[in-house]
Amino acid sequence: MFTATLRGMLAHKVRLVLTVASIALGVAFLAGTLVLTDTMRLAFDQLFGKVSAGTDAVVRAEAAYSQSEGISTSRAPIPAGVLTQVRKADGVRTAEGSVSGYALLTDNAGRAVLTSGGAPTMGYSLPADPALRGDVKLLTGAAPSGAHQVAIDATSAEEHHIALGSTIKVLFNGPTQIFTVVGTVGFGGEKNLGGTTGAYFDSATAQQVLGAPGVFDSISVSAEPGVAPAELAQRINAVLPDGAEAVTGATVVKESADAVNEDLKFVTVLFMIFAGIALFVGSFIIWNTFTMTITQRSREIALLRAIGATRRQVNRSLIVEALLLGLLASGVGLGLGLLVAKGLNLLMDAVGFSLPSTSMQVEPRTIVVSLLVGTLVTVVAALVPAYRATKVLPVEALRDAVPGAGNPTKKRIIAGAVVTSFGLAGLFSTLYADLSMKLFGPSLLAIIVGVLMLLPAAARPLASLIGIPLRLRGMPGELARQNAMRNPRRTSSTAAALMVGLTLVVSMGVFASSLKASFGDVIGDSINADLFVTTSSAQAPGFSPEVIKVVKGVSGVSSVTASGWGEARFDGADSSYSAVDPATAADGLNLGVSAGSVAALGTSGVVVAQSAATSHGWKLGDVIQSEFAATGKHDLRIVGIYNGKGWIGDDFIISIAAQTAAAGQQLTSSGLVRLAPGADRSTVQQAITAALADHPDAKVLDRKGFEKEASGFIDKLLTFVTVMLLLAVLIALLGIVNTLVLSVFERTRELGLLRAVGMTRNQVRAMVRWEAVVISLIGALAGAALGIGLGLALSQALADEGIKAISIPGVQVTLYVVLAAVAGVLAAIGPARSAAKVDVLKAVVAD
Amino acid sequence: MSATISMTGSSTAPVTAAARAEGVSKFYGTGDATIAALKDVYVSLEAGMFTAIMGPSGSGKSTLLHMLAGLDRPTSGEVFLGDTQLTSLNDKALTLLRRDQIGFIFQSFNLLPTMSAAENIVLPIRIAGRKPDEVWVKSIVDKLGLADRLTHRPTELSGGQQQRVAAARALASRPQIVFADEPTGALDSAAGTELLGFLRKAVKELGQTVVMVTHDPTAASYADRVLFLADGHVVDEMFEPTADAVLDFMKHLGA
Repeated sequence: MFTATLRGMLAHKVRLVLTVASIALGVAFLAGTLVLTDTMRLAFDQLFGKVSAGTDAVVRAEAAYSQSEGISTSRAPIPAGVLTQVRKADGVRTAEGSVSGYALLTDNAGRAVLTSGGAPTMGYSLPADPALRGDVKLLTGAAPSGAHQVAIDATSAEEHHIALGSTIKVLFNGPTQIFTVVGTVGFGGEKNLGGTTGAYFDSATAQQVLGAPGVFDSISVSAEPGVAPAELAQRINAVLPDGAEAVTGATVVKESADAVNEDLKFVTVLFMIFAGIALFVGSFIIWNTFTMTITQRSREIALLRAIGATRRQVNRSLIVEALLLGLLASGVGLGLGLLVAKGLNLLMDAVGFSLPSTSMQVEPRTIVVSLLVGTLVTVVAALVPAYRATKVLPVEALRDAVPGAGNPTKKRIIAGAVVTSFGLAGLFSTLYADLSMKLFGPSLLAIIVGVLMLLPAAARPLASLIGIPLRLRGMPGELARQNAMRNPRRTSSTAAALMVGLTLVVSMGVFASSLKASFGDVIGDSINADLFVTTSSAQAPGFSPEVIKVVKGVSGVSSVTASGWGEARFDGADSSYSAVDPATAADGLNLGVSAGSVAALGTSGVVVAQSAATSHGWKLGDVIQSEFAATGKHDLRIVGIYNGKGWIGDDFIISIAAQTAAAGQQLTSSGLVRLAPGADRSTVQQAITAALADHPDAKVLDRKGFEKEASGFIDKLLTFVTVMLLLAVLIALLGIVNTLVLSVFERTRELGLLRAVGMTRNQVRAMVRWEAVVISLIGALAGAALGIGLGLALSQALADEGIKAISIPGVQVTLYVVLAAVAGVLAAIGPARSAAKVDVLKAVVAD
Repeated sequence: MSATISMTGSSTAPVTAAARAEGVSKFYGTGDATIAALKDVYVSLEAGMFTAIMGPSGSGKSTLLHMLAGLDRPTSGEVFLGDTQLTSLNDKALTLLRRDQIGFIFQSFNLLPTMSAAENIVLPIRIAGRKPDEVWVKSIVDKLGLADRLTHRPTELSGGQQQRVAAARALASRPQIVFADEPTGALDSAAGTELLGFLRKAVKELGQTVVMVTHDPTAASYADRVLFLADGHVVDEMFEPTADAVLDFMKHLGA
C-alpha cells in the first residue's frame, strides 16, 4: 500500500506542489516567528551581556515588586554612602556607583538624534575602572570628565557628523545642558547598542543630570582575582543595610534580557496568531484536495476494497499520504521560515519597530515544533476525507460513478445555524447586555465557525447570484456559473479559505477606520485644546517636562495641561495610570468628573474611572493601595470619579507630583495648549515652535496636524496587519488554483466534448477564468460582509475605550473585493491553459 | 466479392461531395513504434446520403471519421468539408467549423451533466452566441420523441434517450454533415433501432448528410452506402446494403 501511496502522490505533481505550498507557507510563518524571536532573545542577551561583561556583582535597592519596564530600571535609588561600605567588603577589587536615565542627544545644529522604532535614548555614567566598563569601549577621544564633557555612541557621532571637540545640547528630564563631545563609544565591535543612543558622563555629572545628587541607581562591583561572582555577592550582602541587595552581574543581565523579552512577547504572540491563521486557511486546501482526490479515486479505492483491502488499510494509506505530505510541506516550510524571519524583521523595521539582530538562530525546538505542527495540521485536515473514503463500497468499482455533487447535509446546516446563533447571541449579550466581555472573543469565533459551516448551503445560491452578470458573457459565462454551482461543498471550502482571510483584513480595516473616525470625536469631546504639544517622533516615550515650562512662557498661551503615564499596581492589580497636573487639568481635559474633583489630587489622591469604581464598589473618600516598583506601597484616597474616558483612557489618574514622588521624574507624554483670548492660533503655534528650538524632543501641532499624525500611525499598524493577513489570502488563492486544477482534470471529458462541438480555446479559458472569479467573489463577498460585521462589533466592544464613531471604509472594502476577483483571474491562468489544451479525441473516444 | 474492391468511392455517379479525403495517411508514434492507422485513403462522401464506415477493430474507421470531422489532423493528405480544406485551417477556424457546420454523435458521454436536455440540444448554437431556430428545434425534438424529456438532466435519462438528445443536438444547427461514432455502441437493440431509424429519416426526409462509424452490420444496413476499411485502407464499398450482405462481407474480411 505504501508504494502505491507514494506513486499516487508523484503522479500528480501540480497537486503535490500546491498542497505542499499551502501548508508550507503557514509552517514558514511559524518557523520564521520562532527563529525571529530566538534571534531577538539572543540579541538582547548579548546586548546586556556586553554592557556588564566586567561587572561581577551589582548592588541595588530591593524592588518592591518585579516589574518590567524594558531597559530602564524602576527601583529606588541607593544612597551614595552604601558605596563606601561595599568597597570595604572582602573580595571587592573595586566598586563604582552607576546612574542611567533619559538623555536625548542633539547634533551640532540642535536637531534631535532620533532612534528608529522608539529605541531608548539613554544616558549613563561611564565607570572609571576599565573592567567595569565591560564591552563599552572608548573608540576615539577620551573618557568624559567634569560637568561639561560627554562621550557618545559612535553611530550617533558618525551619522550626525558630531565631531570630537564640538559642543552639543543634551536633553534630560531636567534642564537641557551643553556638553563638549570628548569621545565616542563602541560596544564590542558594534557602534551602537541595539539601535539605542548613548551619552556617557562621569559619575558625578551623571548623578546631576540623570538622577539626583547623593544617590546611585546601583553599584557595580569587580571582584578580586579568584573570587567567584556568587561568592562576592554573598560577602557584600553580609555588609549591606536593609533594603539593598547584591546579586551577580549575570543575574542582572538575565533579568534585563527577560524583561525585554517579556515586553517583546506581544511580537511573538502577534506573529503566532498570523501563523495560526495561515495554517487554518491552509488546512482548508488540504481538506479540499483529499476530498477531491478521494472522489476521483473512488473506483480505485473500491477496486482495492473489492480485491480484499480492509477499510482500515484504505484509511491508513490515506493517512500515510497526509503524513508524508505534511512532513514534506513542513520541511519546505521550515526552510522558507528563515526567509520569513528575515522578511518579518524588515517589515517590522519598515513600520518602525526595529529589533536588534544577530545571526539567525535555528533552535532544535523550532525544527521539532514546525515539523510537528505542519504534519499534524495536514493529517487532521485529511482525517474526515480519509474516513469518508472508507465508506466507498467495493461494488462502486463496477459502476461508472460520476464524481458526486455532494450537497450539504441538513444536519450540517442546522448545526451551522445553531453555532452562528449562539455566537450572535453571545456577541449581542456582551455588547448590549451585562454578559462578561470574556465571551466576546469566543462569540466572534463561534460566528466565524458557524458561517463556515453554513457556507456550503449558501454557495449554490451565491454562485447563482454572482453568476447572473456572467450570462452576458455567453455560454462560457453560463457554464462557469453552473460549474461553480455544481459542487457547493467544493466551491465553499475553496471560497472559505479566502473568506477567512478577507474577514480578518476587512474587520481590521473597519476597526482602524472607526478608530480614526473616533479620534476626531475623542479630541472634540474629551479635551479642550487649541494646540497639541507632542513627542517629535510617534514612537518616542515622551518629552522632557522642561518643555511644558517653555510652552507656558510663550505669549498668547493661556494654559498648558501636561499629562504623562506610568504603570503600577492598584488594589493588587497591574494597571496603567495617567498623571496630570491638578492645577491645569481642568483647563484642557473634559474628564466628566461626577464626584469630587481633580484639583483635590495632591500627592496622595487618585481619581478613578466610573467603570472601575462601579466594578470594585469604590466611592469617594475610599482609600486604595497602590504599589510602585521604585518606592513600594502608597495609600491613595479617592478624590474624584470621572466618566469622560477618551483622551485619558486609564482607570486611575494621579498627580504628576505624586508620580514623581513614587516613581521618580518621568517624561511628559503630551501637553494641551489653550490660547489666551484673542490670540491667533497660527501665530502662537509659530511662537511655540520657535521656543521649542532647544527642545527637539517635542513639537507643536494644530488639531488637524495632530489627527493626521495619529491616523498616520494607525495606518502604519493597519498596513502591517494587512500585509500579514495577505499571506492567508495568498494561501487561499493557491487553494483556488488547486481546486481548478483538480476540477479541470475531473472534467476532461466534458471539456473535450465542448471543444468537439465547437467551443474555442479562448472560450474554454474564459469558462475556467469566470468560474475562478465566481469562487473568489463568493469568498470575498462573504468575507467582506462578515468582516464588516466583526469590525463593527469590535469597534462597539471598545466604545468604552473611546471608539465612539463607526466607519466602514467603503472604497477600501470594494477594492479588496475587486482585487479578490482579479486574483481569481490570476489563479485561473494555469488551470485555464491546461483546460484549453485538453485533447479533444482522448476526451470523446470511449475508453 | 474481391472483384468489386475498388480504391475509392468515386465510381458512383458524380454528385456533390459533402466531405472528402484525398490521400490521407495517419501515423501514430515515431521510429520503430510507428503505427499506421490510415494509409493513403481517398474517399468522397456524397451530400444527402447516409454513409456507414465499417471495418474490424484497428481498421482505422474511427480515425478516418475523426479526420473527416476535423477532430484530428492527418499526417499527410488533404481533407475537405464541402469546398473548405480542413487541413489548412488553424485550431480556431477548425473549431468554429465544427461548431457551425458539423453535428456530432459520440458513442457515450455526449451530454454535459450540468445541463438539461433542452440546453444540451442548443449547446453549440449557444456557444456561438446565436439564438436557436425554435421551430426547427421543436420539429427535431418531436421527431425524436423527446418533448417530455427536455427539462431532464442527462443522469435522469436512459441511454437511448441520451443518444437521441445527442442526435437532436447534432441536427439542431442544420449542419452540412453529421458524424456519428458508434452511436448505438452502448445501446440495447430497441434503443439502437430507434436511433438508427431517426438518422435514416433525417437523411431521407430532411436531406441531412450523415456519416456513421459502426461495427454492427445491422446498423450499417440503415445506410445508403457502406465503406469497408481494413488495415488503414478502404477495401470495398456496398450500396443499399442489407445486414446479411454486410455480415457476409465482414466475415470474409475478418477471415
